[in-house]
Amino acid sequence: MSLVVDARGRDLRSVSMELKEAVAKGPVLIREAAHLHGLVAGFKSGEVIIGGDSGDYLGVLNDGATIRVKKNAGRYLADNMTRGTVIVEGEAGYGVGAYCYGGTVVVKGNAGDFTAVMNKGASIIVKGNVGDEVATYMLAGDLVIVGNAGKNLGNYLIRGNIYVGGEWESLGHNTLLEEMSLADLAKLRGYLDEYGIQADPTSFRKIVRLSEKPFYK
Amino acid sequence: MPPVNGTFCVTVMSDRCINARMPGKCATCVEVCPYDVYAMDSTGHVHVQNYNACVGCRICSEFCPEDAIRINPAESEILVRSPWTFTQVEEIHHKAQTGQYMLRGFGAMGYRPAFDNITVVPSQIASPAPRDSYREECNLEVVIGEDTCENPVRLKYPLIFPAMSYGALSREARMALAIATAQTGISSNTGEGGLLKDETWLIKGYENEERTLKRWEPGGSLVVQWSTGRWGVSADYVRAGDAVEIKIGQGAKPGMGGHLLGAKVTEEIAAIRGIPVGSDALSPCRYYDVQDLEDMKRMVAFIRDVTDYRVPILFKLGPSRPYEDVKACVEAGADAISIDGLVGGTGASPAIVTQGVGIPTVALIPPAVQALKDLGVHRKVKLFILGGMRNGLDAYKAMAMGADGVGFGAAAEIAMGCRACMACATGRCVYGITAQDPELRARLHPEEAGDRLANFIRATAEEIKILTMLSGHDDIGDLSEEDLRATELNVAAITGLKLIGYEKRLPWWENGRRS
Repeated sequence: MSLVVDARGRDLRSVSMELKEAVAKGPVLIREAAHLHGLVAGFKSGEVIIGGDSGDYLGVLNDGATIRVKKNAGRYLADNMTRGTVIVEGEAGYGVGAYCYGGTVVVKGNAGDFTAVMNKGASIIVKGNVGDEVATYMLAGDLVIVGNAGKNLGNYLIRGNIYVGGEWESLGHNTLLEEMSLADLAKLRGYLDEYGIQADPTSFRKIVRLSEKPFYK
Repeated sequence: MPPVNGTFCVTVMSDRCINARMPGKCATCVEVCPYDVYAMDSTGHVHVQNYNACVGCRICSEFCPEDAIRINPAESEILVRSPWTFTQVEEIHHKAQTGQYMLRGFGAMGYRPAFDNITVVPSQIASPAPRDSYREECNLEVVIGEDTCENPVRLKYPLIFPAMSYGALSREARMALAIATAQTGISSNTGEGGLLKDETWLIKGYENEERTLKRWEPGGSLVVQWSTGRWGVSADYVRAGDAVEIKIGQGAKPGMGGHLLGAKVTEEIAAIRGIPVGSDALSPCRYYDVQDLEDMKRMVAFIRDVTDYRVPILFKLGPSRPYEDVKACVEAGADAISIDGLVGGTGASPAIVTQGVGIPTVALIPPAVQALKDLGVHRKVKLFILGGMRNGLDAYKAMAMGADGVGFGAAAEIAMGCRACMACATGRCVYGITAQDPELRARLHPEEAGDRLANFIRATAEEIKILTMLSGHDDIGDLSEEDLRATELNVAAITGLKLIGYEKRLPWWENGRRS
């Protein structure tokens, strides 16, 4: 049984203060929070369920909490997360998992442009399609796209892996297609099984960086 | 014969010159000089026959097989060879040879409208009497976020060490800044390179992590920077600061992100930033998670929430449109704003950007102050001016023009021992200030450098106090434009200060800049 916080008509500070106290006691369900941006910021533990849609910057700086969104998430989901898990049952907007150092983000629907931009270590899994400029300047971590990707995928990729089950419109600079290894297949199967995503790991392709130093020679 | 130029000194070092040792064996300079500066006589001796004909092309020097010739300008090359100065010619050669543009640190150099064209007006009989700086007190404190957060930042002096990251600076230099900050009660800023753990206790005056051994009083404030690269940023990092600064731009490269070249990305720096050793850390020029001012307001809101509404939020601007940019920062929720002038910039940058992009420091202040006044927050939202600030005189002038304080970046590096060789970006700083090589770093002792920095800050604060009191005040908050005069027409036009002799503002300033 979750504790319930009703966010209707309230501002970030008042909801956040109540949430910080409630989350220490057990899982918390937040209702009517779509107007709040930057909710569940910097939590180190606990479980928070957003009953409907969320606003932007949900779970920013998350450092250990588990956050579930029952419907759709706004922009910049799990921005700069370092630990924890964020799962969205619906779709997510621009910049999913931007600047993350760690943790896991799962989007069951589609995700927007600039997903995984400057990802530095998180696992970001999108069951649907992603937009353009995804994984720009990604520095570490895994990005799994079960569906299709837009233009300039992996532009100036420095490190980390991009796994794509569908098609892409174009690849960005400094990208290289690499054979999937057995370790890649096992890792991918683990991600898909853990989050209940039906897909065949052997149908994915893997994109890695071309050079570690693509800017100044 | 070409027209005589007469502005270069030709020196032939006879101990190196082949012809001096073996007349007739070499006359390369005679052959290559297009203006017959050199001649060989019938005995085979080469001599300079016409010093005045040298135009400073340095072809002779380049071709001399023994590197025996030096050509130095007798007058400024800017006057006699501009635009084709030696530096410009060499830069073009570099690009032609390598296909790479020039990179350097240390900000714009050369003449710009500057504080030097402003003079301080002392008090005499017609104005409030001067105060005695030897026997009377003067308030130099600046408080940031007094009305907006639970733990405002209190600066003992109106001075800050602005953002200079670990990576741009060595670990030892960062520690020196922390020690000096603790000794002087001001603030130091992480820049965007993440946080060195040691800084958190050193800056409070403790010499151990357990914070049981207090060594330096009164202790200072740590500003953690939130930037477009988000290097080393986490919830813990944000909470470690006494204030959080949101970086929009910087003087070295406004409109571009931070540059840390691979030569300086060591294992430790790579670990903090989460990038491969030796790779270039090039921050984005804008936030990937901000698309408009509404997003920026939301960013301020969640940073306040993560820090439990305890600490001030600062903004750092490059030198662009100070009136509009300062207004936007205030709308976004800033408690203080730092603006870096064109002259500012300790960081690596494309040379053309550091040299030629942005508004000179002195010209930023009037519109920035006007924006704060128009919003009714002047002296509430604090304004700090950065960019080429050298001493208490510059600081006083900036504050009399309406700023609340100033920052010392390049001057802080110089106080640690830097000689402004502009090689910061290469990692080869021989004083260990911007180096990452362990041997070079070992040349900088954090405590010695910290003491030097603290001495510099205390001396500068004393200069501010002297100037404040001789102009009839006992509080830096009372300084005003009436305490200054422009000594030169351009600066009077740019700043709105009264012009010496004329004793009035220039006509288009009479009703205020934005009337």
